[in-house]
Amino acid sequence: MRTIKNKVPQNKILQKKVPQNKIRKKKSFAGIMKRNWQLYVLILPAIIYFFVFHYMPLYGIQIAFKDYKAVNGIIGSAWVGLKHFTTFFNAYYFKRLLSNTLLLNVYYLLWSFPVPLVLAIFLNQIRGSKKKRFIQTSIYVPYFISTVVLAGMMYIFLSPTSGIFNFAREALGLKAIDFMSNAKAFRSIYIISGIWQSAGWGTILYIASLAGVDQELYEAAEIDGASIWQKIRFIDLPGLVPVAMMVFILDCGRLLSSDTNKALVMQTAGNISTSDIIGVYVYNVGLGSGQFSYTSAIGLFVNLINFVLILSVNKISKKITDVGLF
Amino acid sequence: MHKKKKLSFSNRVFHIFNTIFWIVVMFIVLYPLYLVVIASVSDPDAIVRGEVIWHPVDFSLVGYKAVFGYAEMLSSYLNSFIYTITGVIISIAVTLSAAYTLSRPKFEGKALLNFIFVFTMFFSGGLIPTFLVMRDIGLYNTRLIMILMGGVSVWNLMVARTYIQTSIPQELYEASMLDGASHFDYFFRIVVPLCKTIIAVLAVYYGVSKWNDYFTGLVYLRDRSLLPLQTVLREILATLQVDKSGDYMLSIADNAASMNEAMRIANVAKYCIIVVATGPVVILYGFMQKYFEKGVMIGSLKG
Repeated sequence: MRTIKNKVPQNKILQKKVPQNKIRKKKSFAGIMKRNWQLYVLILPAIIYFFVFHYMPLYGIQIAFKDYKAVNGIIGSAWVGLKHFTTFFNAYYFKRLLSNTLLLNVYYLLWSFPVPLVLAIFLNQIRGSKKKRFIQTSIYVPYFISTVVLAGMMYIFLSPTSGIFNFAREALGLKAIDFMSNAKAFRSIYIISGIWQSAGWGTILYIASLAGVDQELYEAAEIDGASIWQKIRFIDLPGLVPVAMMVFILDCGRLLSSDTNKALVMQTAGNISTSDIIGVYVYNVGLGSGQFSYTSAIGLFVNLINFVLILSVNKISKKITDVGLF
Repeated sequence: MHKKKKLSFSNRVFHIFNTIFWIVVMFIVLYPLYLVVIASVSDPDAIVRGEVIWHPVDFSLVGYKAVFGYAEMLSSYLNSFIYTITGVIISIAVTLSAAYTLSRPKFEGKALLNFIFVFTMFFSGGLIPTFLVMRDIGLYNTRLIMILMGGVSVWNLMVARTYIQTSIPQELYEASMLDGASHFDYFFRIVVPLCKTIIAVLAVYYGVSKWNDYFTGLVYLRDRSLLPLQTVLREILATLQVDKSGDYMLSIADNAASMNEAMRIANVAKYCIIVVATGPVVILYGFMQKYFEKGVMIGSLKG
C-alpha cells in the first residue's frame, strides 16, 4: 500500500511536465497520428470480443418479443409483443420461482455479507507477519475450488450412508438425514457452502482498505489509552464503511441472478421445491425443451430488475453515505 | 499505572480470543480439504465405516488407479488443459493491450470505450440470446468457443489499467516517446516486462475461471470428445443424485473384478476425482502467490 501512496503524488508532479511535451509533439502532427493508430490496433481485439460476446447477444434479446423459429432465425421470426412476459407473469410457477430466487439471494446476502468484514478486522489484529500470511494464504484456497467440486464435496460429506456429517450425527445418537434431497436444507447448504468458499476471498478488499488507514490514528488512540476493541470500533469500522457499501451495492445488483451454476448442480428431485430458481428454470426449459423466446423473455425480465436494483441502491447509498459506484 | 495495566490486560484477553477465533476458522477452512486428501489415499471400506477422520487408514491408491484408468476422464483432462492454457494466453494478451490503450491519458474515445465495456457488467444478453447468436455464427460445438467464452473480464481489464497507470512511472513513457519510440515499442519492450505482477494475477483469475467452468461445456458442446473435465464431473455428479450408493462410477472401475468391487472402489474414487480436478488450480495459485497478493491489493484498492 505504501508504494501506491508514494507513487500517486509522483504522478501528479509529473503531469506538470505534460504541456512541455505537447509542444514538442505538435511539431510533427503526422507523427502523432502514426502513434495513435497503434493504440487503436492494441484495443481492437478487445472491441471485437465485446462486440461478438456481449453486444451481439444484446441484439439477440429481440427474440424475447418474437416467436423464435430456427428456420427464420433471430431477425426473421414473427413479432409477438409482450406475449411471453404475460405468459410468465400468469404462470402458476411464477410466484414460486420468484420467491425461491429472492429468498435464496436475500438470505445469502444477509448471512454472507458481514463474514469477510469480521474476518478482515480480526486478521488485521494478528501479530506476526508469518502467521498472518499463512492465514491469508489458507483462507483464499476454497475460492479456487470449482462449483462442481464444491457440490461434489457436499454430496460426499452429507451422504446419508457414507458422509462424515451423518457419522457425526449417529455418534451423537441422532438419525442420519439425506440433506441433499431435503427441500428445507437446500438454502442452508447453499449459503453455508457459499460462505465457506468465498468469505476468505472477500477479505481482500477490506484488508487492502485497512492497510490504507492512517497509522497516526492508531498511534494517537494508543496514547489516549484506547483498547483494541475501541480501536476497532472507532478507527477500523468507520474506515471500512465506504468499501463495504460498494460491495453491498454490487451484491444488491445480483439479487435476482444468483449463482445459477451452483444451484443447478445442487438441484435434486428432493429439493426442487426450494432449489427451483429463475436461472435454473431458464436453463432447463430454454435449452432442455427449446423454448428460446419464452426463456429469453424471462432472462430479460431478470436483467431489467437487476439493473433497476443496482441503480436504485446506488442512488440510496449516495444519499445516505455519499458512496456510490457511478 | 494501574489504569495502564488494566488496559493491557483487556488487550491480552483480546489476543487470546483472537487466537482461538482463528484456530476455529482455520479448522473450518482447511479440514474439509484435508479430509478429502486423506480419504483419497485410504481404503474404501475404512471410508464407508467412517474410520477416516484424522489420518489415512490402510493406505491404498486404488481410487487413483481407477480414475486414471478411465479414458473419458483423461481426454477431458487434456481438453481442460488445452482450453485453459490457450484461453489464458489469449485473455492476457487482449486484456493487457486494451488496458494499455485505456491507460493512455490522451487517447481519444477513452470515455466512450470505457462505457461500452463497463455497461456489459450490468446488462447482458442472457443465456438464451447468447446461445442462439453463438450458434448462428458457427461457434456451437467448437473448441474455439471453449477458449474464447469469458475471454475478457471487465473487472480484470480495469485492474490491469489501474496497475499500468499507477505502477509504471510516467517518466519512462515520456523518455521513450522523446527517443522516438512508437506505442508498440513502448508497450512490448517496457510495459509488458514491467507487468509481471499483473500478468500473474490475470493468469490466476483467468486460469481458475476457465479451468473451473463447467457451464460453457454443458451449454455449447455436443461432442463428448470435446468436453472439459468439469463438465464430465458434473455428469458424474448428476448420476450420483439418482443412485446414492455410488454405483455411478461403475464405468470408471470397469476394470475391477466384479460389480461389488467396482462399487467399493467408487467410494474412494470420488475423493480422488476431487483431488485430481482441484490440484492444478491450487498448484497454479501456489506458484503465483508471491506476485498475487501485491497485484490484487493494487487492483482492488484502485479498481
